[in-house]
Amino acid sequence: MANTTLQVYSILFVTMTIMLVYTVRFFRVRQQRRSTQRPIASFDRLPVWVGQAVESNRPLHLSFGGAGIGEDSTVVSLASAEFFYHLSLSAGLADAMPIVSTSSTAAIPLGQDTLRRARQSDHQTAPVHWYPQGQRSIAYAAAITELLADENPAAHVLAGSFGSELALILDRADCRQQGTFAVSDQLEGQAIAWAMADEVLIGEELFAAAGYVSAGAAAQADAAAMDVWRGMLIAGLPLLLLFNFVLRLESAGRVLLLLAVLAVAVIGLAAYLRR
Amino acid sequence: MSRGQRLGVVLAAVIAFAVGMTALFSLLLGDNPELYGFIANAETVAVLVALPASVLVRLVTITIAFTVIIGMSNLLYVHLGRLARRRFYSLVLILSFAGTIYWYAANRGDTSLLEAVQVPIESSLASLLFLSLVYGGATVLRKRRDGWSLLFIAVVLAVLLGTLPLANLAPLRQWSNWLMTVPVSAGARGMLLGIALATVVTGLRVLLGQDRSYRG
Repeated sequence: MANTTLQVYSILFVTMTIMLVYTVRFFRVRQQRRSTQRPIASFDRLPVWVGQAVESNRPLHLSFGGAGIGEDSTVVSLASAEFFYHLSLSAGLADAMPIVSTSSTAAIPLGQDTLRRARQSDHQTAPVHWYPQGQRSIAYAAAITELLADENPAAHVLAGSFGSELALILDRADCRQQGTFAVSDQLEGQAIAWAMADEVLIGEELFAAAGYVSAGAAAQADAAAMDVWRGMLIAGLPLLLLFNFVLRLESAGRVLLLLAVLAVAVIGLAAYLRR
Repeated sequence: MSRGQRLGVVLAAVIAFAVGMTALFSLLLGDNPELYGFIANAETVAVLVALPASVLVRLVTITIAFTVIIGMSNLLYVHLGRLARRRFYSLVLILSFAGTIYWYAANRGDTSLLEAVQVPIESSLASLLFLSLVYGGATVLRKRRDGWSLLFIAVVLAVLLGTLPLANLAPLRQWSNWLMTVPVSAGARGMLLGIALATVVTGLRVLLGQDRSYRG
């Protein structure tokens, strides 16, 4: 694709996303009371863990992993910070402040600011725990297992950039019967999170997480905007494939294919309505 | 929030918005003279449009280099605090930190201590990781008793068996290869596409000043 065409498509995509974000927000704010989000069961356990942390005076452990500002995972770290902010806010009654850990130096100010904002009312903050990453982030995982034994957190919310080292942390947390909630922008980490964590988010659900733990209509609207884009992508890819396929068919084949598509659409619609 | 704090928040949001939008449009519209074909000095204009993004990205790189100092200060601050609460591991960490720096300075940049200690320890931990992974895979049914967990275990077993160099397992190896290249690859791409879309929406939320991280 030529450079100019690519730039024009990029501008169109960005403009459409801005319009979509504001349109969805406009309608969501107006219908805030009636609107419901796509249910994600993994979030149901979070209030329970926050409650346990408050009652047992144990901290929550919130981890960015390797996500940090100025790297490929900049947006991941910002989404995690927003999620952690709302979690820390809901754990505001606890004496034990949440522990934020990271292996990226660029995430230290972000994590510290998240804690400061969440605990603004009582002017208390705990320092973010930074552990050097080393090769394959194993050193970070090892340090976290020590923290996990020493501070005895009520639960671990691991949302950020993790690789296979996540297995060590989840394994240790499981041995100590501490709850675990994990999501990673890396495929390796995501697979391990799915297999070993108590609760797990899949990929882009991390970016919508703030909308699920806060009452803010804007964050919920952003989650809805992501769902719209994803829906368009899911519908668009097969449609383009189908269109490409139809162009190669004879006229009788096209009619048959059209009938088949209509039948599938009717079945899909019926299944959706019966849901 | 006091008036001064509110002013600071507004100022931070305005600066973030201005810098973000400048970088975005500079990246989207810069470095392509074809876009400015209707102007006499199209090449100069394209370079000028790309300049703000280039400068800002360099500034970010320099700032990130400084965060290493923040990291080291943080490490010392956290573990000196923990030392006051008699945490043994923090004492080990601080002594190792001081010892490594002393060794590095005394031996003019020699990193052999790091290589002799850090690398073997990390390698040992990596082998422990294998056990954790096997244990995690084995206990997946304890956490999720559904068809997806069974499918997960079946696929893991098939792929592991497929890697064995046995002649009898050749069909399984072919099936395992197909599994990795078609469904697994498709799923991974789907997930990455989802992350990319969400990144755009979240990135724009930050650029449009909706993110809370610099709003106080």
